[in-house]
Formats: sequence, C-alpha cells, structure tokens
Amino acid sequence: MPPLENVLVVSAILFSIGVMGVLTRRNAVAILMSVELMLNAVSINLVAFAVYGRIPFGNFTGIIFAFFVVVIAAAEVALALGVVVRLYRSRATVNVDEVNLLKW
Amino acid sequence: MTATEVVFYIIAFFMIAAGLGVVLFRNIVHAALALIMALAAVAGVYVILSVEFLALAQLVIYGAAVIMLVLFALMLTRSRERPQAVFGKNRPFAVAVAGGLLAAFIGGIVATEWTQPARDDIEPVPFQEIGDVLFSVWAVPFEVVSVVLLIALAGAILLSLPDDEEER
Repeated sequence: MPPLENVLVVSAILFSIGVMGVLTRRNAVAILMSVELMLNAVSINLVAFAVYGRIPFGNFTGIIFAFFVVVIAAAEVALALGVVVRLYRSRATVNVDEVNLLKW
Repeated sequence: MTATEVVFYIIAFFMIAAGLGVVLFRNIVHAALALIMALAAVAGVYVILSVEFLALAQLVIYGAAVIMLVLFALMLTRSRERPQAVFGKNRPFAVAVAGGLLAAFIGGIVATEWTQPARDDIEPVPFQEIGDVLFSVWAVPFEVVSVVLLIALAGAILLSLPDDEEER
C-alpha cells in the first residue's frame, strides 16, 4: 500500500488539473469533462480515508460516498449534456463565453 | 518500496498524464479519449486501495456510459465552420489559480501529522459487506439517489426533445 500522503497528493494534482481545465476551456463539454476529473479526485480522497482508517467492524462511509458520487455524476452528465444540446440548437455554439445573453 | 507501491506510482503517472491531456489537447475528441484513460486509471487506484467493487462501478458507469454520453454530445455539437480558439483568454490566470490551489493542498497534506497505522495487511473490501451496509445503514440515501437519477434522466430527455414550433 502506498502511504496515505502520496494518495492524497496524487488526488490533489488531479483536482488542480481539473480546476485548470474548468477555467481555461471554452467548450461546455470540455468543461464538463474537467469537472469529471475533479469529482474523481475527490472520490479518490474519500476512498483513501475510508480504507486507511478502516475499523474492524466495517466503516464504509467513504466508499459509499464515492459510490454516490459516481451515481450523482452520471445524473449530472445526463442533465448537462441535455442542456448543451439544447444550447447548441438555440445558439449554434457551445462556447461558454459566447453565451452571454444574461450579461449586460 | 513494495510492488503495490510501484504499480500505484505507474498508475498515478498515467492518471496525471491523461488528466493533462484532457485539459490541454486542442482536439476535443482526443481530450475525451484521454478522459477514458484517466477514469480507467482512477479505477486502477481503487483496485490498489482494495475496493474492487468501486473499481468495477467506475469502469462500467464512467468508462462506458458517461464517456459514451460525452462523445455523443461532442458529435451533436461539433461546429466546423471556422477554426476557433480552444482556450479562453484568462489562461495565465487559470494556471495561477490551479497552481496556487495545488501548492495549498500539498502544503496542507505535508504539514499534517497523519496518525496512520502501518497497514500492509489490507484485505480486499468484500462485496457482501458493502452490500450489507449499503442496504441497511445507507438504505434511505440509496433510495433518494435512485429517485434523483430517475428525475435527472427524465429531465434530460425532456430537455433534448424538440419544441413544437422548431425543426420538426
């Protein structure tokens, strides 16, 4: 088993990469993919704490939370891609900086 | 350094490389393919951490279903009329924010005294125990999540239906 610190550092790197993607990308789908990276980094953290801090009678809270994260991410992706397709149909672009209808 | 650790570092290297690919590839389909690799590497980390059930769920849900949705969305929304900038104008700012965040995280991780037992003896988390906990302690959240998923999928279908007045 790798030390807990190294697992945490790896997930921190992955999370930061995701933050960079969210802030730099223009395409809405690419932003969504970067958000997936961030969610996965958080899941790694949850699982690492659950596994390394496991008590004999089974404390699976972190693992169950990571499982819920996967499910919620699936729901989020489905909804967000529905919104993206909708956006493309009405504005013919999915670049988030060109969708400035609410900006004044 | 044990063999498990070596495998972990190899997987972590591939995960970070694929993550950088997701963020930096100019061709967005290549970025989606890099995302497959990153998600598979996360599943590998779950295996290293002895949570095989989550690794399987990760591969089936993320690696197959979510990627498939993303690729379909890319195909449906491709605009090829003009070459366009892939990245926004605030790129140096974004790199600074991500780097600062990473520095803060790593500083916090290094500065913390982890009271971590030496555990080379971790056995795989058994599927049955996860199932028992999921359907006893976490039964109500599980049902709520199911309803959330159902509503989200129905909403996604509703969102992508064409309006009556347009393009039918």
